[in-house]
Amino acid sequence: MNPSDIFSLAYDALVDRKVRTVLTVMMVVLGASLVVVIDGLSAGQAAFLAQQLDSLATNIMYISSGQHSYHGDASSSASLIINSAVVNKIRGLPDVTDVVPEYSGGVTIDSYGNIQHVSVTGMDPTKITDMLPNVQYVEGSTLPAASDRTAVVVGDSIANPPGSTTPFVTVGQTLTLTYTYADSSGKQEQEQRSFIVDAVMKPSGNQRIDNGLIINTDAANQLLHKSGRYDSLMVQTTDDTAISAVQQELTNLYGKSMGIMVPAAFIAVRQQTAEGNAMFVEMIGLIALIVGAVGIVTTLYNSVNERVREIGTMKAIGAQNSSIMALFLVEAAMIGILGASTGLGIGVLGGYAMTSFPSQPAGHGGPGGFGPATQSISSFPPIFLPLDLAKVWLLSVALALMAGIFPAWKASRLSPMVALRRE
Amino acid sequence: MRLVGLLNRDKSGMRHISGTMVSESVRTESKESSTTALTVSNLSKIYDSTAGRVIALDKINFSVKKGEFVSIVGPSGSGKSTLLNMIGALDRPTMGNVYINGIDIFSLDDSMIATMRNNLIGFIFQSFNLINRTTVLKNVKLPGTISGMSTGKSHERAMKILEALGIGDKANQKPVNLSGGQQQRVAIARALVNNPTIVLADEPTGNLDTKTGEDVFDMLKTLSHKYRRTIIMVTHNPELAESTDRSISIRDGRIEKDVTN
Repeated sequence: MNPSDIFSLAYDALVDRKVRTVLTVMMVVLGASLVVVIDGLSAGQAAFLAQQLDSLATNIMYISSGQHSYHGDASSSASLIINSAVVNKIRGLPDVTDVVPEYSGGVTIDSYGNIQHVSVTGMDPTKITDMLPNVQYVEGSTLPAASDRTAVVVGDSIANPPGSTTPFVTVGQTLTLTYTYADSSGKQEQEQRSFIVDAVMKPSGNQRIDNGLIINTDAANQLLHKSGRYDSLMVQTTDDTAISAVQQELTNLYGKSMGIMVPAAFIAVRQQTAEGNAMFVEMIGLIALIVGAVGIVTTLYNSVNERVREIGTMKAIGAQNSSIMALFLVEAAMIGILGASTGLGIGVLGGYAMTSFPSQPAGHGGPGGFGPATQSISSFPPIFLPLDLAKVWLLSVALALMAGIFPAWKASRLSPMVALRRE
Repeated sequence: MRLVGLLNRDKSGMRHISGTMVSESVRTESKESSTTALTVSNLSKIYDSTAGRVIALDKINFSVKKGEFVSIVGPSGSGKSTLLNMIGALDRPTMGNVYINGIDIFSLDDSMIATMRNNLIGFIFQSFNLINRTTVLKNVKLPGTISGMSTGKSHERAMKILEALGIGDKANQKPVNLSGGQQQRVAIARALVNNPTIVLADEPTGNLDTKTGEDVFDMLKTLSHKYRRTIIMVTHNPELAESTDRSISIRDGRIEKDVTN
């Protein structure tokens, strides 16, 4: 039989059982689309984390007074009070090149009557590049001097809120920051200060950076009523190989009364976790594909049973076993091709749809203003690599073909005489 | 007259089985074989089952001349359908040989037997066995499709046979939309499309009313007498059997009578 004849007969057979064919194709679609979505999101997340990793200096660690150490165990010891003495002591440790104290808190900003709740970090603005080597600023920006108490550096998401066509903040504009706190009697009070926007950062891919403000250390101390107690310290070491030694030294000095976080290590662990999660979810996708393949087996097996007389007739009029086998394998392949192709399309669209929901602002979980933040799924747009898509497509079609082998073999081995007798 | 022309054409093109594909060792060419379409020699079929040994066919011997219309009659369970299945190579005998055009068909492997069935034998079934999801035309083209005949050629042949059988206008309909008689004509057309040496008909009128059955039988008779097709028909109907050239009565797996009508 000519291949075109086999395709024509297989197509007719599938069309004849439309509902069953569609349901079986949908099983393959589900599996293929699930794998595609997971692949796309995983690739997107991996790229995002890699971008974050690239954006952070590798010789930086953060020290906080709370229990933020992601390495360390939970501690019952008292939190370290980070003040100038602690800063100076750490500054004197071997391999430490710099220590940048930071205040952090939540404020509201008022820009021409529009209000936003944001996190603010008080630090020496000239040290931003030490932490974030790749940070860039929009045109017209000027990085303020360390002593400039009226300057503010604004993150991209604050300046250009997602979904808004007009900027919320521009360079040169005055911003009013309001800090709300409770006084000793529990009464709510507000502290207000005005700042001039000296610089607006370009999108960095790091939500903490993009959703934050940076002001002078002293200005933050006053605005946030910190009384000289820093929230965190950014410790810069000679290079990334010194991180462990300094970390050990700090632990020896302060025990578990402080938290230590190394952003680069944190992200690397997150990458590993993300890869593990992706593999787990991908396994679910593969299971869905295998379920689809079982569906094909069931469909074709039923089809063989229902078409026994037809198979018998075809064999009686001269069809070879190989032609009968090819007929059913082509049916399986058609289901696989249709399911895989549709699944790829739905998977790609689904991946973009899942990441099109508005992004939530970053939480204030980590120490320091610029550590890695917890990201929502919409933070990392999916990446669909042609090779990955081709692999999923081939895997789906191969599974479909494999699923078709047994029913096809069964059909091909039917004795024409026995088949013709079947009612 | 159109049908006879059609049936006499393409002989070299379609008869691969009698050409290069069959070795001389399995061919019994003789003067007789030039006039004999079929020879059944010592054909036996024995089934062993838990219920015991059943001799379905017991050393059957007969020959059929080219163009002869032979009926095989007998009561249910006599072995007539088993005999037809053996002649059609749908089942292998326990013993004995079947020669079609001088070819010992059971000396061939399964693949060659399938090719032989496609090229030398046309089947007509009691329940038509048409593929109902597809059109009449595709059904009739099927043996040509299986043999690798070009689409154009199989289309042309199928249409000519359908027209000769008076159902050319039904070519694009599905078989389920046709009457029983029309469906059997489609089955006859399918049996003829590859210009076979022998047409095997298993109770071809069994599922039809008397009048339609007679029409179908007349059509087979015309094929045999006018167009020199060799037809072997299994039937329960003694009147139809008497109207064929020759009746072979089978009882308990043996030939009881072999009568020329």
